[in-house]
Amino acid sequence: MENKHKSARERFIHYFSDESNRRKLAPYISILFGLLAGLILMLLIGQDPIKGYINILNGSIFKGLFEGNFRRLGGTLAIATVLTFTGLSVAFAFKTGLFNIGVGGQMLFGGFIVVLLGNVLTLPKPVHLLVIVLAAAIGGALWALVPGILKARYRISEVVTTIMMNYVAMWTVSYFVRRWIPGHYETESSMIKESASLKFELLTDLFSGSAINLSIILAGLVVVFIWYILEKTTFGYELKAVGFNPDASKYAGMKVNRNILYSMIISGAIAGLAGASYYAGYTNHVKLGVVPNFGFDGIAVALLGLNSPFGVVLSALLFGVLRTGGEYLNAMTSIPKELVDIIVGLIIYFAAATLLIQFMLTKLIKKMKKNDEKHIEEKVVE
Amino acid sequence: MRKLFALFSVFVLFTVLTACGPKLDYDKGTFTGPYCDDLDVFADAKKAAIGMVTDSGTIDDKSFNQGTWEGIQCYNAKHTSAVKYLQPSGETKEDYINAIDNLVDAGYKMIVAPGFKFENAIFEAQTTHEDIKFIIIDGAPHSGNYVPDIKSNTVSVMFAEEQVGFLAGVAAALQTETGKVAFVGGMEIPAVQKFGWGYVAGVAYANDTYDLNVVVTDYLYQGTFTEVTAGQTIAAGMYDEGIDIIFAAAGGVGVGVINEAKTRTEAGEEVWVIGVDSDQYDAGKYGTAGKSVILTSAMKRVDLAAYNYSGALATNSFVGGKQVTYDIKNDGVGLPANNPNLAADTLTKVDTVVAAMKADTIVAPNTKEKLTTYLTSKGYVTPGTITY
Repeated sequence: MENKHKSARERFIHYFSDESNRRKLAPYISILFGLLAGLILMLLIGQDPIKGYINILNGSIFKGLFEGNFRRLGGTLAIATVLTFTGLSVAFAFKTGLFNIGVGGQMLFGGFIVVLLGNVLTLPKPVHLLVIVLAAAIGGALWALVPGILKARYRISEVVTTIMMNYVAMWTVSYFVRRWIPGHYETESSMIKESASLKFELLTDLFSGSAINLSIILAGLVVVFIWYILEKTTFGYELKAVGFNPDASKYAGMKVNRNILYSMIISGAIAGLAGASYYAGYTNHVKLGVVPNFGFDGIAVALLGLNSPFGVVLSALLFGVLRTGGEYLNAMTSIPKELVDIIVGLIIYFAAATLLIQFMLTKLIKKMKKNDEKHIEEKVVE
Repeated sequence: MRKLFALFSVFVLFTVLTACGPKLDYDKGTFTGPYCDDLDVFADAKKAAIGMVTDSGTIDDKSFNQGTWEGIQCYNAKHTSAVKYLQPSGETKEDYINAIDNLVDAGYKMIVAPGFKFENAIFEAQTTHEDIKFIIIDGAPHSGNYVPDIKSNTVSVMFAEEQVGFLAGVAAALQTETGKVAFVGGMEIPAVQKFGWGYVAGVAYANDTYDLNVVVTDYLYQGTFTEVTAGQTIAAGMYDEGIDIIFAAAGGVGVGVINEAKTRTEAGEEVWVIGVDSDQYDAGKYGTAGKSVILTSAMKRVDLAAYNYSGALATNSFVGGKQVTYDIKNDGVGLPANNPNLAADTLTKVDTVVAAMKADTIVAPNTKEKLTTYLTSKGYVTPGTITY
């Protein structure tokens, strides 16, 4: 009888006595804190925060939705798709003990291969798409291979090598685009053929001509696949074990070097797919002299998603909403778009401080338990 | 769970309710500038709502974006209206279209887009938003095949850069002490190329007309509009060769050229830079005496275009579906009104050339082929190392 009618307080204590539950809650608290901070900021600059947040939601999802115009939602999903890939790439590397900062470069190189093959090959659409998607994964993996080998064989920090590979990618791509697939203007490559575009008429029409494309389905498949590898296979278990403690793994008979290399390659391949999603679904050509900032955003996405594949999807959606909604906010009110950047920054800041939040929760639970015990003792004394 | 759902429904309802018609703030601005003061006020202009989307770079780029925005701000300072610019989150067609959609949804009736990068986005937007007016500067909307398709709600504004490049060439030829001048371009795009072609033609014209022997001994494109240090290095090399005037049509690269000129002038050398797009005199100031290394500037009045079309929108006199050229005849291009660094004699001669251009007796070449023909007709010999 007692057990069935637990008070909210008791349930709260029970739930958060479990450490993994405390860990899961941390991102939500970070988001809440971030949004609260944004609210205070808007008040400070003399703006209406409710109007501000409503405009962000309208701009990214709701505006036109009820009149059957799904364009804004589609655009947000398209951005969230790219962020899912880059976030997943970072998260996978994190889970296996690697810090892949070079996702931007791997994405760019994968994207370059996509645009190249999208330009020079002439194939029926289904075959062409299959070819470019595979090529994107291989391109991204190739770009991650060098830091992978350096890390596995010589223990050279992947933090340094991956980020340097970003610049190598930027200029290599610039050189080969100018040589092989120059565009009408010097700053870009030529457009890919229609058969290589991930835009799918049915989907585009459904979302009122927005940038949403087939890569959203691919993203779903990859997320499930990566989750399966990490959680349900021995291979995934080994990768994680090497990440946790290379020495123990080696002692247990695992091939540490080989596993580091595999982790890097898989992470790079996912980054390459981000390139396919962006360059064959969103832009359809490569712009020269820039590394896409989706790579760095991916770090934030992974951090907030607690490096879990499904967490990454949720946090990519949130980032997508904030990113596309921010500009609408800027257009509709005199709140600058940069406010959204600040909110995103703060959320990440709080997410990075998850340990602190977890610590605070732990303390709170302890205190509550102690109080309860006191009450019980008092009752007994009475 | 039920509570959560109820909360969500209330929230959505609230969102829908507040999503009705946008309200714009019509506020008179306070912009003042040397060029704004001289512009005429439009009689019986209605309230206008003007939006702008920035090209790559920020609103304070001291060039294209800034010029356009200043034109709009100037309009707002003279006529009460609602103005806003958005910097898109990226530089792809999708990002541009999203920014345009956002401005349209917010209630802006005209969108000004500076730069050829908007060609594809404006092409789509002019069809989706038929009741919105579009101004694209330095480009023309097309579907991806580079064949202009300008709908009746759009105007494509081009500039006769070759004319003002020509004037800069004449001024450079008359002012140089060493007989050697140079051109530095940013990216090799039509707007920059035309400045350069006109410049060489201007030098050739001055040689022929005033019996000079000035040569453009260096002529190159750096490849970006951003590499300040590269601009400085290039300028150092050119000045070392004995070149004393550089025409820099190169955005941030030009800033590097100006920096090098300042350093050398302060060390006692006499070198000059010809500025571009706006009057760059202030950017070239050094020391405390208020002197500048900017000989003169090849101005391209994007602000005037933005100002005029804002007025056209407000007075219902907008006529679209065409390409307009801003040239010397309508003050769309030209040298600044004040040129403290040009000799009186040079100014008189430049004025003669301006008059001749207005009378069509001098036609500045605006293609590579026309330039070659022009140079031959003036007996100008291009050094072997140079291609235009």
